[in-house]
Amino acid sequence: MENETVTTALKVLEKQLNRPLAAALEVCARCGICAEACHYYVADPTLEHVPAYRAEQLRRVYRREHDFFGKHFPNWVNAQDLDEPTLEKMTEMAFSECTMCRRCTFNCPMGVDTPLMMRAIRAMATASGKAPEILVMLADAAIEKGENPEIFKGLFLEQIAEMEKELQAMVGDPNARITVDRKGARVLYVALAGAHTILPPAAIFWAAKEDWTLSIYEAANYGVFLGDTARAKKIAGRIIDEAKALGVEEVVVAECGHACASLIWDAPNWFQEKFPFRIRSIIELMADYVKAGRLKLDPTANPEAITYHDSCNLARTSGIYEEPRLILREITTNFREMTPHGLENYCCGGGGGLVALPEYDEKRLAAGKPKAEQIRKTQAEIVVAACENCRLQISDLNTHYQLNVKVTALADLVVKAMRLPKREDQAAAVPMQPIATVAVGE
Amino acid sequence: MNVYWLTGGLALAALVFSVSRFASRWNAMQKLPFPKDLSQPKDTPQRGILYAFTLGMAPWAKESTRRHMAAYLRGIAFHVGIFAGLGALLASPWFDLMPEIVRVPLAAVTAFGVGMGIAGGILRLAEHHLKAISTPDDHAAVWLVTLFLAAMTAALLSSAFVPAMWVVAATMLVYAPLGKIKHCIYFYFGRLFFGIHIGRRGVVRGLIKHALPFGGEVTHGK
Repeated sequence: MENETVTTALKVLEKQLNRPLAAALEVCARCGICAEACHYYVADPTLEHVPAYRAEQLRRVYRREHDFFGKHFPNWVNAQDLDEPTLEKMTEMAFSECTMCRRCTFNCPMGVDTPLMMRAIRAMATASGKAPEILVMLADAAIEKGENPEIFKGLFLEQIAEMEKELQAMVGDPNARITVDRKGARVLYVALAGAHTILPPAAIFWAAKEDWTLSIYEAANYGVFLGDTARAKKIAGRIIDEAKALGVEEVVVAECGHACASLIWDAPNWFQEKFPFRIRSIIELMADYVKAGRLKLDPTANPEAITYHDSCNLARTSGIYEEPRLILREITTNFREMTPHGLENYCCGGGGGLVALPEYDEKRLAAGKPKAEQIRKTQAEIVVAACENCRLQISDLNTHYQLNVKVTALADLVVKAMRLPKREDQAAAVPMQPIATVAVGE
Repeated sequence: MNVYWLTGGLALAALVFSVSRFASRWNAMQKLPFPKDLSQPKDTPQRGILYAFTLGMAPWAKESTRRHMAAYLRGIAFHVGIFAGLGALLASPWFDLMPEIVRVPLAAVTAFGVGMGIAGGILRLAEHHLKAISTPDDHAAVWLVTLFLAAMTAALLSSAFVPAMWVVAATMLVYAPLGKIKHCIYFYFGRLFFGIHIGRRGVVRGLIKHALPFGGEVTHGK
């Protein structure tokens, strides 16, 4: 007999069952060719790390309900009733052994969308109270912030006022401003928590003479990691409402993979609405500045051996892989690619919210081994990653695997390479911001 | 009623069952929700779909198929054999009218499919992880289809085997929409959704560049 937890989980599965999910559940031929596409498998080639095996855990449950043999001869198709221990096992797998990087999907002859199934399991786990508490807490805190912005707005404005002074010193212009929620601005920039995602972009906006304002909210969306559309929608809704109220032309998202992917690709569908503004990553905007010659850049300012890590959410999910390279070509003299890179790049192991889950640290660091090896082979001194979670993970890999690299955001290097209008004889001196040691949260 | 008519009737009934079951599966898929994507596309879904069903299936297009080229080509050859076998099945009532110049090459294709099917079946049993992720249905499907191709090869070479081939074909046709073989229609959906994803999101231009021989460049259209 099913208990309430199991019933809830099954209801969520049924509710989520749309054409793409059904195709993913049905189409797998179990050829196993996806195995080496997964960084977990590359790091540790066990059965549990084969993407098809992982997806089978959900398929077994699905077949019990939806398949002729699954209903009448379950053993023939390994169908299984969902029970609580199985749900718990699936939950742990979906939250700790898949970063939803889509590398297996791109390598599957059928196009099986394993991340979609992992997201379905996460949704089942969240609805039935099995999801990691930290993610739920972070998501709920973000929602609460959206409901009562006055509580933190005063303190936030004070912090921004301090940052504005830093910006003025950085660019040598006492009139440089960081405005917050300014009506009529062309761009609404949505940063992450911490000055390191505000100051360098502010300097770039200043140099490009952009008409911009800063959002009072952070771009991070933990609802996405939970597979919980209701929470994710509320978190994204804060920014969407803010952008509408300000009447901006563009919402520009900080260097953050999941925040970009969720705001650009998911949010319009959550709200079933075509927004009256464009949403894109700051990487895309910076690339436009570079193409248009709006930034005066000196590549010799970054002479170190530099490599770029493609965030899965930016490259495979959002098609942003040429733009960062276009920028890097203009700001570095010794850029080198990892092998493989771009759309075939390995996940760093920190995606899917894993960097926020200390209980899975060991698994996360182990799964990051292929990335660590990739970095080591480039002999780079600096690793650029346009995603906060990737930077956190690579920083941890740096320590764990003794890579001896610096990890930085792309905007930091752009600022370093910028020749400012009033100080053409020297590059803007922006100190490398230390990377937060905890997941960027609300 | 002779054995020819009896087995032929059986195969025909199985074909009707199979087609109707597949049609009903297709309809069931169409009834599932597929919300309109309102995000602003970076490129066209059509470009992605075209890639997914053409260049994207090339053995060199994906790291996985480059790494497992032999296994992938084996699978392709097996499926070429299956499609040839199904085509031959539709023509089977008129095998006597079919010239040898058509029958023998067709038999060669299905016979090659048999070889590839046997190799696939053995691989599924021999390779540790592959065996572990396989269900009894997976094993049955590959051996049943291989048996069908063997029967078809025999029937193409000698009409005496046609009734036996029809019995095997009937079994396979009944099994197909119920078991693993049904993945053939979901293949269409799987590649379609993959194509839409890489198309809309502008990923496809990089994939095309990668998949074209000699790293050819493709202009990114808006």
